[in-house]
Amino acid sequence: MRKILDSLERAGKLAENVALLVLLGTMIGVSVFQILNRQLLGGAFSLAWADELVKMIVLWLAMVGSIAACRDNKHIRIDLVTHILSGAIVSWIKVVVDLFAAGVCAVIAWQAWRLIGEERTWGDVILGDVPLWLAHAIVPLAFALVSYRFLVRVFGLLHDIFGPQETAA
Amino acid sequence: MIVVSLLLIVLAILGAPLFAIIATSAMAGFHSNDTELMTIALELMSIAQMPILTAIPLFTFAGYILSESKAPQRLVRLTNAMFGWMPGGLALVCLAACAFFTAFTGASGVTIIALGAILYPALKQDGYGDRFNLGLVTSSGSLGLLFAPSLPLILYGVVAEVSIDDLFRAGILPGMVMLVMLSGYSIWVNRENRRPVGAFSWREVGGALREAIWELPLPIVVLGGIYSGFFAVSEAAAITALYVFIAEVLINREIAFRDLPRITRDSMVLVGGILMILGVSLASTYYMIDTEVPQKLLAFVADLVSSPTSFLVLLLVFLLILGAILDIFSAIVLVVPLILPIAAGFGVNEVHLGIVFLAAMQLGYLTPPVGLNLFIASYRFEKPIMHVYSATFPFLVILLLSVILIAFWPDLSLLLV
Repeated sequence: MRKILDSLERAGKLAENVALLVLLGTMIGVSVFQILNRQLLGGAFSLAWADELVKMIVLWLAMVGSIAACRDNKHIRIDLVTHILSGAIVSWIKVVVDLFAAGVCAVIAWQAWRLIGEERTWGDVILGDVPLWLAHAIVPLAFALVSYRFLVRVFGLLHDIFGPQETAA
Repeated sequence: MIVVSLLLIVLAILGAPLFAIIATSAMAGFHSNDTELMTIALELMSIAQMPILTAIPLFTFAGYILSESKAPQRLVRLTNAMFGWMPGGLALVCLAACAFFTAFTGASGVTIIALGAILYPALKQDGYGDRFNLGLVTSSGSLGLLFAPSLPLILYGVVAEVSIDDLFRAGILPGMVMLVMLSGYSIWVNRENRRPVGAFSWREVGGALREAIWELPLPIVVLGGIYSGFFAVSEAAAITALYVFIAEVLINREIAFRDLPRITRDSMVLVGGILMILGVSLASTYYMIDTEVPQKLLAFVADLVSSPTSFLVLLLVFLLILGAILDIFSAIVLVVPLILPIAAGFGVNEVHLGIVFLAAMQLGYLTPPVGLNLFIASYRFEKPIMHVYSATFPFLVILLLSVILIAFWPDLSLLLV
């Protein structure tokens, strides 16, 4: 079980890195090509889709970056408690706030899921023929994963709190 | 509603992720307001409808690549060759190099790590006092926030719907004022230690220029392109990202390909954190505008103060407290939509407001209890946090004076707009 979870974590981190590289690389490539097309080629290519694509990539970068931020524990917080308190109480506070975050993210994931359900019935498309709901599907997916990541952290904290005593006993 | 707000404040202080706090307050608002809860997702998805936001990941990536390469060393060598001959030279080098670097890397604390590590020992070797060095390096780390293309300037433009080109121009003089005042203080403190680093030498300038040959076009293309209006901000960001990649990874080869996933990840983690807060703040702003919170606040403040001057005093006090608690990015997305209408009510220009806002929030990097740069410096230079704080205090006072000057002298910001 432990092994499966570990390889799942590794695969998850790899997937995040690959996604971030591809998204950012595409963004740089398309943006620069747009400029070249306009300044040097006199608008030889019709790039109406490019603006739409780059803007959608921002959303995807934000979402995947957010999942990665959660894994690396880099979400923006008021980092006060860890500086003035120490010991077990800090771990318990972290359990509470991360459990809260996991709950909030689960609610957002659910709301986003409902929204893309609505969007499916509207039938909007972007980039020519990509359904809008598919492009937006990253939002519920990302929040579900962020919620999961916060839960993993909570279990990790609980394990650290109770772990040593178990081995002592 | 009050119970929910209090609970959220407690959770925020205990260290809950800020985006979760803001999202909850938005959703609680929607619930009490009979607004469909899906609105939060709708607002989050509107991140994909703001073309200017592309600049944020692109500049952040470029900044991380630069700070991982040897560009910081070359920047220090070049500034040293140019300014090192002056009295207090190395202190001036520190201020100028840090300001430049922070503008390009977006004020995320990387300046202290990338440049401080080079400058701190160099200052010591040059005979400057340890307290002075620590304070100088720590406060230099957030200098340059007001210069293009810093991320907070861009984010303010996005949130306040102000022309980012105007903000870039408005930041120049106030940013220079901060630099000059800190330089003046540094020279004055070290008036006994007038030893310049060395004589001015064209040879050394030439050598430093040659070494930095691949970075030199960068400020010219980016700043020139932006200020002349040749490039839009997001275009300049794309050019910068590609150029920095080519210069540092392909030509200088200071960053190996195998390091790219890590650097990309680190930079996008910051981007994810910022944009997530922006996204949920769009939702909470939607609710607050919907329930006319800014109007109520304006009425409340108008009762309290009557003149633009007293409003600015109140604003400064508020911003200094805010900066001590909240990081600059959260503060911008959360607070700017609320104070914009109030400032407009008192006839404060929105571009000037942006510069005052960012200048005041810059102090937040240096004020306890949560000043980011204090912790980074304490960690990086292995000094107790209280020691870092007291060493930084004189610089904080100088910066505070400059913020007051910037706030009450609007023309300083608006002259170039």
